[in-house]
Amino acid sequence: MAGIAAGGSRRSPFAPYLLVAPGVLWLLFFFVIPIATLGKTAVSAQGVPWYDGFARAYTSYGVHFFRSFRYALAATLAGLALGYPLAYVIAFRSGRLKNLLLGLVILPFFTTFLVRTFAWKTILNDSGPAVWLLVRLHILPEGGQLLNTTMGVVGGLTYNFLPFMILPIYVSLEKIDRRLTEAAQDLYSGPWASFRKVVLPLSMPGVFAGSLLTFIPATGDFINAELLGSPNQQMIGTVIQNQFLQVRDYPLAASLSFVLMAIITIGVLAYARVLGTEELA
Amino acid sequence: MSKREPYDEAELKAMVHRALNRRDFINRSAMAAGSLALGSALINACGGGKEAPKGGDTTAAVAAAGGAKQLHISNWPLYIDAKTVPDFEAATGIKTTYTEDVNDNNEFFAKIEEPLKRGQSIDRDIVVLTDWMAARMIRLGYLAPFDDSLFPNKANLVPGLRDVSFDPGRKYTIPWLSGMTGIGYNPKKTGRELTSINDIFDPKFKGKVTMLTEMRDTVGLVMLGQGKDPTTCTLDDAKAACAKIKQARVSGQVRKFTGNDYAADLAAGNIAVAIAWSGDIQGLAADNPDLRWVAPKEGAMLYSDNMMIPKTSTNIASAMAWMNYVYDPAHSAQIVTGAPYLSDVVGAGEALAKIDANLAKSELVNPPESLRARLHVFKALAEAEETQFNQLFQDAIGA
Repeated sequence: MAGIAAGGSRRSPFAPYLLVAPGVLWLLFFFVIPIATLGKTAVSAQGVPWYDGFARAYTSYGVHFFRSFRYALAATLAGLALGYPLAYVIAFRSGRLKNLLLGLVILPFFTTFLVRTFAWKTILNDSGPAVWLLVRLHILPEGGQLLNTTMGVVGGLTYNFLPFMILPIYVSLEKIDRRLTEAAQDLYSGPWASFRKVVLPLSMPGVFAGSLLTFIPATGDFINAELLGSPNQQMIGTVIQNQFLQVRDYPLAASLSFVLMAIITIGVLAYARVLGTEELA
Repeated sequence: MSKREPYDEAELKAMVHRALNRRDFINRSAMAAGSLALGSALINACGGGKEAPKGGDTTAAVAAAGGAKQLHISNWPLYIDAKTVPDFEAATGIKTTYTEDVNDNNEFFAKIEEPLKRGQSIDRDIVVLTDWMAARMIRLGYLAPFDDSLFPNKANLVPGLRDVSFDPGRKYTIPWLSGMTGIGYNPKKTGRELTSINDIFDPKFKGKVTMLTEMRDTVGLVMLGQGKDPTTCTLDDAKAACAKIKQARVSGQVRKFTGNDYAADLAAGNIAVAIAWSGDIQGLAADNPDLRWVAPKEGAMLYSDNMMIPKTSTNIASAMAWMNYVYDPAHSAQIVTGAPYLSDVVGAGEALAKIDANLAKSELVNPPESLRARLHVFKALAEAEETQFNQLFQDAIGA
């Protein structure tokens, strides 16, 4: 400690700036410059007004934006419904199995996202096991399909982002002081009331983080819609990828990326307002 | 924004497809291993191999002319037999990597465009792309000219394709195979024989139909179904065809717009009807012998896929050796045994009759006059026109 204090007296006035310099440079190179380049591309369309890409984002691709948010929202809610109970069990009820269960949650990451999604193509196949079972259970009509439907895409999104929902919720549940639930029970609260009044509120930061980690990448995802959807399930990410790589209309693709970023930023700010960020895990 | 690692969908699909075609794959590996071990020793000992018909000696001479003894080829799936690559390696000693990673012209072009623009290597010495994309590659200056002194068999190209508008004298591109675009279907799923293009719009097949992302194939075929000729079509014809395609997409009739990957879905039974390339179906017979390809009564599209050398290739001599090898009629016939398309090599038909008399009579490799009369080549589009056609099509397929 003495050394640091001694150093303090000789500290140059630039020290704080030097300390933040790596972070600032990182942001400059990997955020500001790419975004500026993207912005320049967005407004550099030839032979049309500069805002043409943005106008088309509304006129031609409004439906894709709307669909992307709908699918991402559905995947987030489904992820929450599946992920919360699982995180709860791992945090409170798994005993010695805790590490094993956490390992299983992370296990899918050992293969790439793309291969896993490809595997779903086989599982959801018209002649595959999932359709066979659901038809036998009369959940799907005879000749029904899962592959290349909305169900397929939302299912794929849910599956792919589920670990991002489970892990933050698990962390916030794990942090809860067990004595609080004991106290609640001492004060005559039943299991449901102690969950609703103690555990759930204290786990909200995890729910908040998990929803964002699911919703944001799911909105921009382009692989699930491409592999598991039909042309009527194309999401905005698929459109952007197509415009960049196949049609090669860079200004339009860049404009669409900007609009997507803007909508997500505004949405997240609003969400943070409602749920509060100071408790963000 | 999502940050996903860039991926190689075509390669992955090819991988999945190879796994499906296990029998073919095992054949291929066994052949490759066998010929590598024995073939090269034997043939080197014989000094060129006397069983190789005419051209065998020149091929060896070409290979001796220098350059690195390796070759990287990108081609479409289901487009070669199992013997050609190992035989070529044995005959020339050129280590050949043959990759089936071209799934769609635009998709492949998007991958190679940036490096070629900057003059960087794309690790390919030969790529195989369709006529219209070949024209674009030449226009953009992305190709290395052929060294005709290493390519004596070039004279075997059928006369009708020697002076195409986009490459007079064939200085940069030469056909690999030509093919027809028609209807591929699974009679078990359709419940009847199909003869008309408009059968793909039959509501009975709703959600069981795929069309190609290749604009000229899909739009051309739909135009034929509407009684228009793609060889002389107008913008209005394209609008009408695209409106029909869009309607079929919105109504859910069309399940997917695909590249060569329709093949896996057709074999797996996910789709009943596909706009399909003529030779693919036979390659799928190992998985599903019921599948059928038909040139619809209204007509079918004709195209050529061309070999070309990216300007950044450093193995030009090897690339020329390959082209010289496959332009030997016997070798071209050998390729057709594994990929029943149309060879553009003079004498390949006769050579094929010696290897496989039945196949040589098939309309897939030797269309009778009645079918030839129904084949159409999509008209050459000027750049501005191409943009208009593409925009219409992109809108129709919802991309």
